[in-house]
Amino acid sequence: MQQTVYKVIGVVLVLYSLIFGLLTSIPDLPIIEESIRNLFYHVSMWFAMVAMMAGSFAYSIAFLRKENLYTDRRTAALTETGMLFAFLGLFTGMIWARFTWGAWWTNDPKLNGSAITILIYLAYFILRNGIEDERKKARISAVYNIFAFVMMIVFIGILPRMTDSLHPGNGGNPGFNSYDLDNRLRLIFYPAVIGWILIGTWIASLRYRIKNLSIT
Amino acid sequence: MKILLYLMSNIGLLIQRYAKQELRNSNAIFSLGLYLIGITYLIYLLGGSNASDNSWNTLLWVVVFFASIMQASRSFEFESGDYFYYYQSIAGPKETIVAKLIYNSLYMLFLSAIAWGLFSLFYGNEVYQPTVFALGLGLGCMGFSIILTLANGIAERSGRNATLSTILALPLTLPILKLVSTINRYAMVGAPFDETATIIGSLVTLDIAIGLLAYLLFPYLWQD
Repeated sequence: MQQTVYKVIGVVLVLYSLIFGLLTSIPDLPIIEESIRNLFYHVSMWFAMVAMMAGSFAYSIAFLRKENLYTDRRTAALTETGMLFAFLGLFTGMIWARFTWGAWWTNDPKLNGSAITILIYLAYFILRNGIEDERKKARISAVYNIFAFVMMIVFIGILPRMTDSLHPGNGGNPGFNSYDLDNRLRLIFYPAVIGWILIGTWIASLRYRIKNLSIT
Repeated sequence: MKILLYLMSNIGLLIQRYAKQELRNSNAIFSLGLYLIGITYLIYLLGGSNASDNSWNTLLWVVVFFASIMQASRSFEFESGDYFYYYQSIAGPKETIVAKLIYNSLYMLFLSAIAWGLFSLFYGNEVYQPTVFALGLGLGCMGFSIILTLANGIAERSGRNATLSTILALPLTLPILKLVSTINRYAMVGAPFDETATIIGSLVTLDIAIGLLAYLLFPYLWQD
């Protein structure tokens, strides 16, 4: 029962944000205009990715404490799901950037941060594939994953705040910072974030079960 | 207190041992030195001596960065195979990592000082605030050594050393590289100190945080 409830809530919230994200009325801002609706589709991807990576970080710590291989499979499943959201966030952002900034890619601290994040976690999968012994693989990749998560938070959470960014709300650009993220946007944005995190949990749990089945 | 002194002396002995090993194997030092001279001269040949501040700084960091990667890729060279068990019997993981981090930081500091000297020789020293520049160089070397040593330990324990350590370390070192090159650019143009101080502060915090993390995580790596 509990297993079903969160999936239903996730699907409902995501459908709600997909549909009402296009229908809702938006604040009238220069430059960004209608493309502000990408807040619901692009920014929620990054929130979901950070949530997935935080989950895998927590499971990595749990693994180092108890050395339970099921925990390690949960870590791997969550990281894979997080990568999916990272790529989706990157693509939705690139499409948005093409229309708002006029280029697919710019030298912006947040873009650099996300590119580095993807590199860091791709290295994680290369590391995992290279080790034969299950227990050793789990331990070494847990060590790397903990380190990687901390560096990711530094790169996407702290460094962009120290320099100006082209992103809405930074460096004087109009956008969704505290005073103009108004309630109409919040009403769609927060459900979208929660919905995508729930969907991500669902995907990760499916991947975890597949991993458990294919291990024998 | 007594146990702390014991640990300190043990760490000191380990560092001495690493240094002796390096000096005996003098081939490695000379190849690093030759790399530094060769690459600096290559840049000089291609670009001449009229580099702007920004490209001077970028090139210096690229040279230092690859020197650190080359140096760190050998940091567990003598702990492979059966020697691993020998080293485990003479020192615990916590002493090992502290000794390695201190040793590698000093080594990288030495290499980056040489690189700075070579750059000054070929292109002229354009640094306006040498103390701030040296501080940035030192903090950067510390950060590099922490990340590269840990990544190297991971690669060494996973049994595939050569390329894996670079793949693991490269994206992780970029935040530090970004911060230190900003500090050094400020030092070159002589920005007011309180502007540089915030970045130096965040770099110090980052160094301490990753150092602590490496110290806590290394014991899980250093077992079989």
